[in-house]
Amino acid sequence: MVDPGQDEDTGEQGLTGIELTRHRSGRFFGVLHDADAGTATREQARDSLVTLHLPLVEHCARRFRNRGEPYEDLVQVGTIGLIKAVDRFDSERGVEFSTYATPTIIGEIKRHFRDKGWAIRVPRRLQELRMQIGSATAELTQSLGRSPTPRELAERIGCTVEEIVEGMESSNAYSTLSLDASSDDSDDGPGSMLDVIGVDDEGLANVEIRESIKPLLDQLDPREKRILLLRFFKNMTQSQIAEEIGVSQMHVSRLLNRTLTQLRTSLEAED
Amino acid sequence: MTALPEDAAGSEQLPGPGSPAGDRAQVEVRLPAEGAYAAVLRTTTAALAARLDFTIDDIEDLRMAVAEANAMVLEQADPGSDLVCTCHLAPGRMVLSVSVASAGAVPDLQSFAWQVLTTLAADADIDTSGGRYTVTMTMTSSLSPAHDPATGAGA
Repeated sequence: MVDPGQDEDTGEQGLTGIELTRHRSGRFFGVLHDADAGTATREQARDSLVTLHLPLVEHCARRFRNRGEPYEDLVQVGTIGLIKAVDRFDSERGVEFSTYATPTIIGEIKRHFRDKGWAIRVPRRLQELRMQIGSATAELTQSLGRSPTPRELAERIGCTVEEIVEGMESSNAYSTLSLDASSDDSDDGPGSMLDVIGVDDEGLANVEIRESIKPLLDQLDPREKRILLLRFFKNMTQSQIAEEIGVSQMHVSRLLNRTLTQLRTSLEAED
Repeated sequence: MTALPEDAAGSEQLPGPGSPAGDRAQVEVRLPAEGAYAAVLRTTTAALAARLDFTIDDIEDLRMAVAEANAMVLEQADPGSDLVCTCHLAPGRMVLSVSVASAGAVPDLQSFAWQVLTTLAADADIDTSGGRYTVTMTMTSSLSPAHDPATGAGA
């Protein structure tokens, strides 16, 4: 990076912030437009000019904050505008570079909103109509003291009610919501839309079944209860249960079947 | 409601009672009873309200109420049946009934959808007779003199 501050005769002594920037800017442009300077030197001057005027981009981008696009993105597209301005600027014209660059930077940011702001592409005509409806709604709400009707909007903008309806409809396309998008920036909130959408909790349904089956289990005779316990809680096979209790496997099978049928019918009878 | 000269209103204004077409100012929409058509119903009813001098806010309320009514009836609809939405139009006022064929439906007055709907509508009702599940609601423009200030910001 070429630093004019290191030159011996800079003439920068006693200059304030803005004057200093202007002075340096002028010097860099001198180098950039110097046909005799080497390519590398001119490239360096160009880089330095961009870096020097970055605060201008940040200033412009700040004006478009809170409009749905990340500030960092706006700075990036604004910087592209700045680079274009540096390349096109003609110091012979006698205009300040910042005066020349500001419309270019803002133009680039506005173009970004026009091209990238909409989640779903809608025709340019509708995009502009939406903006008109937006500002007309704000004005009329203020002057009428209530929300305006589509007819009032149509009269204000000078279009038909039909077009207003169309414009309102297209507003839905401006932003879409991803199911995976995080609901906010904090870490402790729910992770994404998908996480906050409820599902049927099987556990809850089981609570109901468990509660209604409890009294029925209590009515079973001790041997039937024991078989159920061994089969479903200790996960023993029918043969193992048969050995444990001292009856045949066939008998265990019959007893289990009978108990389960009995439980099921009593449960269904309750409903 | 602001009275406009006949020519200024032009064809944008829907005929109300008193005009030749006013006595049958009724619009009926029939759609498959599926969620995919919900947006069509919302858009259609909102477009009608836009021509009855509903304000932008009223139209948003109406869209939301229609969405909730739609959700309620779809839940009860017999498979493969149609959803019929009838809109009775009057200046500053629209009575909508959203209906599906439904065997043995029981109205759930505790549901979230119903709570939202009754808050938004000037009047709302569920009817389950005749094998149909019908949600009827009256939406008014806040500019209409009959507007109930309890349901929104009055004119």
